[in-house]
Amino acid sequence: MSKTILTIDDSPSIRQMVAMTLAAEGHQVIEAGNGSEGYAKASTNTVHAVVVDLNMPVMNGIEFIRKYRQHPSSKGVPIVLLTTESDEALKREARAAGATGWMVKPFNPTQLVSVIKKVTG
Amino acid sequence: MTRVDPAETFRQEAQELLEQLETTLLDLEQAPADRELVDAAFRALHTIKGSGAMFGFTAVAEFVHGFETAFDRVRKSGQPISADLVTLALQARDHVDGLINDPDADTAGGARILTALDAIAPQEGGASDASVAEPVSTAAADGVAGRWRVRFKLPADALAMGTNPLLRLDELAEIGPATISALTDDIPLLDELDPECCYIGWEVVIEATDPQAAIEDVFLFQGDDLDLEVSRIDEPAGEAAAVPGDAPEEKAAPRSEVVTATSAPAAKAALLRVPAERLDALMDQVGELVIAQTRLSELTADGAPPALQGIAEELERLIGGLRDTSMGIRMVPIGSLFGRFRRLVSDLSRSLGKEIEFVTSGEETELDKTVIERLADPLVHLIRNAVDHGLENPDARVAAGKPAAGTVRLAAIYSGAEVTVTLTDDGAGLNAARIRQKAEENGIISPDAEMRDEEIYPLIFAPGFSTAAEVTELSGRGVGMDVVKQTIEALRGTIDLTSEPGRGTTITLRLPLTLAIIDGMLVRVGDGRYSIPMAAVEECVELPASAVDRRGRDFLNIRGQIVPFLRLRELFRAEGETSDFQKVVVVSAGDARVGLAVDQILGNHQVVIKQLSRLHSGLNSFSGATILGDGSVSLILNVAQLIGMGAMKRTPAGIEEREAA
Amino acid sequence: MSDRLIFRLVDQMFAIEASCVCEILEVAPVTRVPGAPAYADGLVNVRGRIVPLTDLRVMFGCERRAADHDTRIIVVEITLDGEPLTVAIMADAVTAVSDIDERDFQPTPSVGMRWPREYVRAIVQRDDGFIIIPDLSTIFEAISRSADRSDIPEAA
Repeated sequence: MSKTILTIDDSPSIRQMVAMTLAAEGHQVIEAGNGSEGYAKASTNTVHAVVVDLNMPVMNGIEFIRKYRQHPSSKGVPIVLLTTESDEALKREARAAGATGWMVKPFNPTQLVSVIKKVTG
Repeated sequence: MTRVDPAETFRQEAQELLEQLETTLLDLEQAPADRELVDAAFRALHTIKGSGAMFGFTAVAEFVHGFETAFDRVRKSGQPISADLVTLALQARDHVDGLINDPDADTAGGARILTALDAIAPQEGGASDASVAEPVSTAAADGVAGRWRVRFKLPADALAMGTNPLLRLDELAEIGPATISALTDDIPLLDELDPECCYIGWEVVIEATDPQAAIEDVFLFQGDDLDLEVSRIDEPAGEAAAVPGDAPEEKAAPRSEVVTATSAPAAKAALLRVPAERLDALMDQVGELVIAQTRLSELTADGAPPALQGIAEELERLIGGLRDTSMGIRMVPIGSLFGRFRRLVSDLSRSLGKEIEFVTSGEETELDKTVIERLADPLVHLIRNAVDHGLENPDARVAAGKPAAGTVRLAAIYSGAEVTVTLTDDGAGLNAARIRQKAEENGIISPDAEMRDEEIYPLIFAPGFSTAAEVTELSGRGVGMDVVKQTIEALRGTIDLTSEPGRGTTITLRLPLTLAIIDGMLVRVGDGRYSIPMAAVEECVELPASAVDRRGRDFLNIRGQIVPFLRLRELFRAEGETSDFQKVVVVSAGDARVGLAVDQILGNHQVVIKQLSRLHSGLNSFSGATILGDGSVSLILNVAQLIGMGAMKRTPAGIEEREAA
Repeated sequence: MSDRLIFRLVDQMFAIEASCVCEILEVAPVTRVPGAPAYADGLVNVRGRIVPLTDLRVMFGCERRAADHDTRIIVVEITLDGEPLTVAIMADAVTAVSDIDERDFQPTPSVGMRWPREYVRAIVQRDDGFIIIPDLSTIFEAISRSADRSDIPEAA
């Protein structure tokens, strides 16, 4: 089933890769360049999943997740956090903030598809 | 829709990030303790690393990882950033730039930089580098199929956090034939029930061989608060192996870094990347449209039916709007150039041993992208000169009662349809005597010429004033200044200079906002029609009867000011009828003015500027050509060059001639 | 083996590769460029592009001639210093497009030619005289070099 997925990343190349990969799977993709923009889009669109980068200017990934989880529309929406490090403390922090899952960069399109499938079915 | 290669996007992105990084590093040089800057530098590195690794730029990612690691140690130590570290980091930044284009670029150099970075960064205390990764599962695999019981209960808020227990059950069922039963003991009474909470646990019995890893995968994203129990149930009981809910799924991460994002450039509005050629093509087409519209307006001006005239006027308005919008798309803030110069000044400061404060303003001032591109080299040249020849050594400065650090200011500001860029230094100023001597040696002026200092300074722009070989002996500025002037004039700009001994020098560039379309005045000279950029036109006067046929008296008295004028008929060896009422169009650039005697002023029109081909690139009197409404071609006069010709009339030789006449 | 456009300058026939010819214009308004050498002192509007007009007759030492009803402007695209350049050539007449095989090319005779040899790549013998295969890149390199140095003499 086609889903609307929001990708939030300050890196246009990663956004592009995420968008192309998920579009090829038949999903709608919305893009945002930082957490703040992402929050604006997440709270005004029906979003089925969010893929958010950790390291971003203006509002980073964890801050985004905390803020978005305050918004009622985030209920049940899986959020996948992208990081370059796989660090336990970070994962705990992300989970505490409300992340559903994470993915470590670099990842390839197949991995992305399987993670999205894992969180959205 | 065409798909853009993400690797190409990464290249562009990396270029921007590297520029950002450079700016940040240079800022850090000024404010070594600014944590926000350190974080910003770190973030830029981090993004390059992450995206680089994604798109196959392995060499980039690896090098940046080392770079980042060293930088992170500094960040964590809380120590200020040393000048040496900035220097090294700038080198590292350049190396990354190289690696993006060629992954094998200067591997040895890269290793050297990393070693130096490593040595310079504060050492981390303790063994925090030791890997904390634990083996995922040590449970011996016996390779025999068996029945496994998985009991799990998700944390209460799991549903809200986007975890769907049904998906977990599906995944478990994919491992092997499974029997699923719900554990409903914890479901509260209805009035205590929060519908968003997950109260149910599950027990799944799976038939599989060594399913532990697969089961862990199912709960990959669940943490400490997952209640999970996995046990083999067809064995003698009692060896239930609790799988740590927090199983690390990646072992290769020795470092931990939680990055706080605080400082950041202001949030950018939604931007679209467009290849530059498309903008050029758009501008060409708008240019054609403007020409076609001009023809239409000319045709309808006399005697067309009112309805047609109305449409023509409407079209003119619409096309004018389209033209302005299209030109707006091409505007780029000049700050994109200024960033590069900070690096230049920083490098020069180091290599020359001069302390320099580089102050910029007006970064947001926008110019046509072509102007910005072509402005880069001349400005580099001017800045280099200001630092190298303008600013004195710290000792000399102190001796002269100035602060040891010299100041170089680069400022951009709008002024009408132009942008003024000024470069000011507080150095020693130009040495008029040396310039004069030099100009005499090179035959630019005659030894007996009487000239004021202000007249001598501009001689440094004269072709042949100086050659590169002489740079070291020269205290003045001269090398390639003629090229700088030509480049600025080719942009239809002007360059002026003022200098005060002991106080410094100011160079002023005036540049048109755009190169593509300008307002022009169309004039007739003999049987040729020429366009004069409207922005340069000051006024038009009648050619005084006394000047019509008197040779050698090519000066006008305009409200008490003597203005030289050029007879374009003679200059262009024009044929065709003249006029009894010749006009003089007075044009100016900066403070300099010249009159251009023409046969007739035909009117104003929109000039879509086309460059002259290489066959005519040597003709400095024209800055381009345009197509008129009737389809014929009109040359555009290069005002700066003509003013230069007029100024020659003011040299002593000219004055003598005038007095003799 | 390739198609060549045959045109006349004064009384001599020339042939250039048809593939480099963009178009052939009947007489168009020519804008004179003051200060440019006489053999490259024109500009013409070719479908919105401003193209320099050259007069090889003048370059080869002939008189400039007034245009008549046979006069044509041949617009060609050549490569100069590795970059494409569109230029127009004045011709007294364009006569034909014809197949001329390179095997028919003959070396330029050392005497009896009124056209400078360095600009002639080869000649082709025909019943009604010979056709010159001009060396366009050498010609336009020479024009480019001399034109680059020319300018309006500054008013003294």
